[in-house]
Amino acid sequence: MRYVKLPKENTYEFLERLKDWGILYAPVKISEKFYDFREIENVKEVEFHYNRTIMPPKKFFFLPREKMFEFNLSKVEYKEAIEKVEPFVVFGVHACDIFGLKIMDTIYLDELPDKYYKVRREKGIIIGISCVPDEYCFCNLRETDFADDGFDLFLHELPDGWLVRVGTPTGHRIVDKNLRLFEEVTSQDVCNFRDFENKKQQMFKYHEDWADLRYLLELETEHPMWDEQSDICLACGNCNTTCPTCRCFDVQDIPNIDGVTGARVRRWDSCQLVRHGMVAGGHNFRPTKKSRFMNRYMCKNSYVEKLGLSYCVGCGRCSYFCPAEISFVRNLRTILGLEESSCPPRISEEIPKRGFAYGPSVGGGEQ
Amino acid sequence: MTVPRPVPRSNTFAEDNPYALERVRVLRVYHLTELEKLFLFRFEDPTIAENWTFKPGQFVQLTIPGIGEVPISVCSSPMRQGFFELCIRKAGKVTTAVHKLKPGDTVLVRGPYGNGFPVDKWEGMDLLLIAAGLGTAPLRSVFLYAMDNRWKYGNITFINTARYGKDLLFYKELEAMKDIAEAENVKIIQSVTRDPDWPGPKGRPQNFIVEANTNPKNTAVAICGPPRMYKDVFEALINYGYRPENIYVTLERMMKCGIGKCGHCNVGTSTSWKYVCKDGPVFTYFDIVSTPGMLD
Repeated sequence: MRYVKLPKENTYEFLERLKDWGILYAPVKISEKFYDFREIENVKEVEFHYNRTIMPPKKFFFLPREKMFEFNLSKVEYKEAIEKVEPFVVFGVHACDIFGLKIMDTIYLDELPDKYYKVRREKGIIIGISCVPDEYCFCNLRETDFADDGFDLFLHELPDGWLVRVGTPTGHRIVDKNLRLFEEVTSQDVCNFRDFENKKQQMFKYHEDWADLRYLLELETEHPMWDEQSDICLACGNCNTTCPTCRCFDVQDIPNIDGVTGARVRRWDSCQLVRHGMVAGGHNFRPTKKSRFMNRYMCKNSYVEKLGLSYCVGCGRCSYFCPAEISFVRNLRTILGLEESSCPPRISEEIPKRGFAYGPSVGGGEQ
Repeated sequence: MTVPRPVPRSNTFAEDNPYALERVRVLRVYHLTELEKLFLFRFEDPTIAENWTFKPGQFVQLTIPGIGEVPISVCSSPMRQGFFELCIRKAGKVTTAVHKLKPGDTVLVRGPYGNGFPVDKWEGMDLLLIAAGLGTAPLRSVFLYAMDNRWKYGNITFINTARYGKDLLFYKELEAMKDIAEAENVKIIQSVTRDPDWPGPKGRPQNFIVEANTNPKNTAVAICGPPRMYKDVFEALINYGYRPENIYVTLERMMKCGIGKCGHCNVGTSTSWKYVCKDGPVFTYFDIVSTPGMLD
């Protein structure tokens, strides 16, 4: 692999130069608490130290809502509707989200590639960035905290700049075209890199072995956690829409007002919604909230053979953005027998604070 | 001399779009029961009509323009080239629209999808087909295929059941075949479970396994029916000495894409996670045992 150094003072110019390669998307702070990938006009807006964005970068490749075909009913004709995709650069993708995209690839670029996804994947340049975990992150347990590939360039933070790993021929071209912005990597930089990675590892909340989790999930289907947690679940599907590897979609034919033309549209779907397991005639294969709740846990912890990983990359979004404050990690740890207190916190008059699952439990306080 | 009518090229898609649709024309519509109709289709594109084929047990995605798409098992024999039949129950928005189709109407399909029954592997074996309700449709495909390739298989028994006599799918067709069938070691049993006035056999499908003229040690069993039927049928089959490795079932889920992407047909638990559309819809008994949630 090729390594170069991007000095801190050249960072913004580098970002500016990235616009030569396409529309630049990068994380920006959109409110007091939240970040999201947005199109960048002013590179000074780019956020380098963010914990997680609301929507994962999959939204650039697998659109939340997308027109697949246009139809004409009088001619009984369906035509492929594929937008002309301009090249684009997604800057600042964390390692877990890079793995998220690699997992999406195993589904959408398999033996029958999804054209709509493929076109965008070919046009998109991925620039990764190193990060430090917060209390919601568990990518170390999922082995997705360090991406070996799946990016064009990956920036690792150094005290005085960025150590850049070059991952693809496109990455080489970006570096070569802007060679004056880069320097050679010194032994001090290597030290700093190592230091950063070591510190990052220590910052993870959990350091444990989840190797047998998949088996325990199956063996513990009668565990009280399932009832308790699915009971407080709102079945809103927030966990699915923020998940970097959730890939369910629904398809609809939507006629225009003229009644003759229209479009076949697909959009993200959620397995937590009641109609997800519905078949013709009204039978629902997952009629209860509990069965759908379990379905997500089973899906996310099943095995991606091609990558040797689980479908969950440990980004923590499903817990962070859960309005019922259900903690995915905590529930999994309950199944593993690693949580001491019972799953749900005791009911309290207090307004629960975000992240209660990790701190002293609300009203309980035994932790 | 008559000039052949130009056939419009139906494929307006680039070849690499896995969701590409092909136009098909309705040739015949048969009323089977109150809720089910049988449709005979032919591809408008003559090249596709000639080359398109499928395996018994596979399904297609049928588009009713402007309404939507629905997965339907093919119920005809793949040996009849250029045509295919779908038996469709009026159950939802799309299938209600399908029921309004008349001969000459054009709709669109893509497929075939799924793995289908391993009919090649079954050569030399006896066949026992157990169907209940709409489950008759995919098994009719297996049955007709086996009849078209009669020399490849041993004795064949088709147990076709429904709640009421009027709901028995393909009743007349199967009755008409009975005489010829018996001469060819093919047994057709058509039974109802809830109809007291039914003159013929009564009882659940598992009650008729004993009457089957198949050798349990060397029989491929194909089952399709409502989820709650399977457990009793499995039990009876295994009691009678049928081998679990030769038991196959076909499952139903709401497949939106048919190619393992949309996730609606996901089934299983963390170590056994399957897509019904891609890994199935035909599964073995062992798949069912090792993948909770397949049947209910």
